[in-house]
Amino acid sequence: MKKSILVLTTAAAMLTIVGCGSKDNAGGEKVTYAKTSAEVYTQSCYKCHGDKAQGMTEKKTPPMNDRQAGELELDLYDVKNEGTNQSSGTDHDKMAHNMKKLFEKGFDYDPKSMAMYIEKNFYINPHKKK
Amino acid sequence: MNEKMMKEGMEIIDAHFKGEGVSRRDAMKMFGAGGAAMLLGSGVPTQAQASSSAKGKILIVGGGLAGMATAAKLTNTLDNPDITILEPGASSTSYQPGQTLVGAGLWTNEDTEYKRDDFIPSGAKLIKESAVEFDPDNNTVKTSGGQTIKYDFLVVAAGVKLDFSRIKGLGITDTITSRGDDSAVRKIVGQNGIASIYFGNGGTDTWTQMQKFIADAKSGKKVKGVFTHPNTPIKCGGAPKKIMYLTDARLREAGARDNADLTFYPNGSAMFGVPEYHNAIQKQFTERDMKWNYRHNLIAVDPKNKVATFNRHWKEKGAWDEDLEEYGIDLKSKEVEVPYDFLHITPPMIAAEEIAKSPLGSTKGWVPVKKETLQHVKYKNVFALGDIAAVPMGKTGGSARKQYAVLVENLISVMEGKEPTAKYGGYTVCPLITSIGTVMLAEFDWSKKPTPSFPFDPTQERWMWWLLKVYALKPMTQYGMLSGRA
Repeated sequence: MKKSILVLTTAAAMLTIVGCGSKDNAGGEKVTYAKTSAEVYTQSCYKCHGDKAQGMTEKKTPPMNDRQAGELELDLYDVKNEGTNQSSGTDHDKMAHNMKKLFEKGFDYDPKSMAMYIEKNFYINPHKKK
Repeated sequence: MNEKMMKEGMEIIDAHFKGEGVSRRDAMKMFGAGGAAMLLGSGVPTQAQASSSAKGKILIVGGGLAGMATAAKLTNTLDNPDITILEPGASSTSYQPGQTLVGAGLWTNEDTEYKRDDFIPSGAKLIKESAVEFDPDNNTVKTSGGQTIKYDFLVVAAGVKLDFSRIKGLGITDTITSRGDDSAVRKIVGQNGIASIYFGNGGTDTWTQMQKFIADAKSGKKVKGVFTHPNTPIKCGGAPKKIMYLTDARLREAGARDNADLTFYPNGSAMFGVPEYHNAIQKQFTERDMKWNYRHNLIAVDPKNKVATFNRHWKEKGAWDEDLEEYGIDLKSKEVEVPYDFLHITPPMIAAEEIAKSPLGSTKGWVPVKKETLQHVKYKNVFALGDIAAVPMGKTGGSARKQYAVLVENLISVMEGKEPTAKYGGYTVCPLITSIGTVMLAEFDWSKKPTPSFPFDPTQERWMWWLLKVYALKPMTQYGMLSGRA
């Protein structure tokens, strides 16, 4: 038992020195994209989501001009990754399928920069309509 | 200590304890007290605190782990802190990661219970009420007691609410918090084979129900265990599986595993968003004869006849889409009934309605923030962290532990009239309990790649991480995070 305690104390010391995840790992390499977000939007997205990201009822697509970048990014991230939680799944099954096909055609993008592009060009603040 | 030495040392430790084991009391004593002392001592990996003379009235909504840690760090950093915390729950700060261990009879609920009032940083003011109305254009919040509080800066850390009312047949109409009055839910969840570790007393009741389930299996009866995972984001995404692994372990311990059929029914179609961990978990499930059935969302329970109803949903090839220049897909679904003897429910989780529907909320309810700085997308003097923040993946204490330091730095920058520059990288951690004595320490971030803090294969189950989970994380939370130190 004495040995166990010794080993355990050492372990505790190591863990606390290193800390659980105290290193901020960047994790993963930088991805580069063939097209800019503007190019992806004006060559592909607009076909179904509209030229002002207003959504199209006949295509049953949701508007994307009603959310700011921080919020929209979460949705785009969810679509791209087919969910943001371990086993919760996604509400975006259809778009997740479509997005995969579009990526194969070269329309891949960074969710953050796409969200910023959409906000900058199309966002309508509902609180400012007076 | 260099990496190679540490790796060798830890391999030895892992191997040593794998065979021998150590009594809980000894481990608790050495690991807990030792770890805590280390954290408080000079070996703490916190940066030297820069103090700030910035002024302003800060209101923190929610006194769980995230809110209290934020309050503590602000108190440590500001020369003249003016902090008010709104928190109605007396045990809001409790150590929820322990609830899984309570559910499997390894801890008792008292082991997880922290009193809110013991963790109020000195100087911070506590109001034992909840926030019911938000007017961020005028910087005010109305409380359940009718006070209107004016703030200069607001931190939203209100966590999630458990929404059992979305599951028909349980007769539950109210949402509850994870620690607090759970009487509306406990009447039915925690009885007759239905269990849920997601609320305080739920852990205790889960253990009672699990023991009955195991006794039935031991008596020779063929029994079915059903474990659910809903279609909303949830706190601690690993817990629905952890409780299943622990049920498996307890059945084996009782020599009754052969009589039990255990199946995981998640709404999604994966075990984990990170492929490496997904593959490791599927392998672990297979090795234990634990089954899974993807794309099943629990929608109803018939407690009398012990039948769970799921919405099973799938994709089928759809029509040709001219714009896509591909075939689209059609979504199909149907209801399926699954009989159970033991049903572990992971309830749907939502942001509190009064926040979700306020100008601070979003279409899905969660408070939308810039995910790196945690600043609200609309209001520069508002920040959010923890389970209510609309950031991908991490609704865990491990995420909150990374977030609060970033948030405090950024909030102080904004108070000083500067731009927020500190960045959260999406780090989160899931110590996935895979049996009594083993844990897979799944660390990852938004890159969806494993980001191990230790130089090991992160997909392996280890006794070492069991020690971390069961003995070290609680004191780390208590002495490190809740005091705003680490």
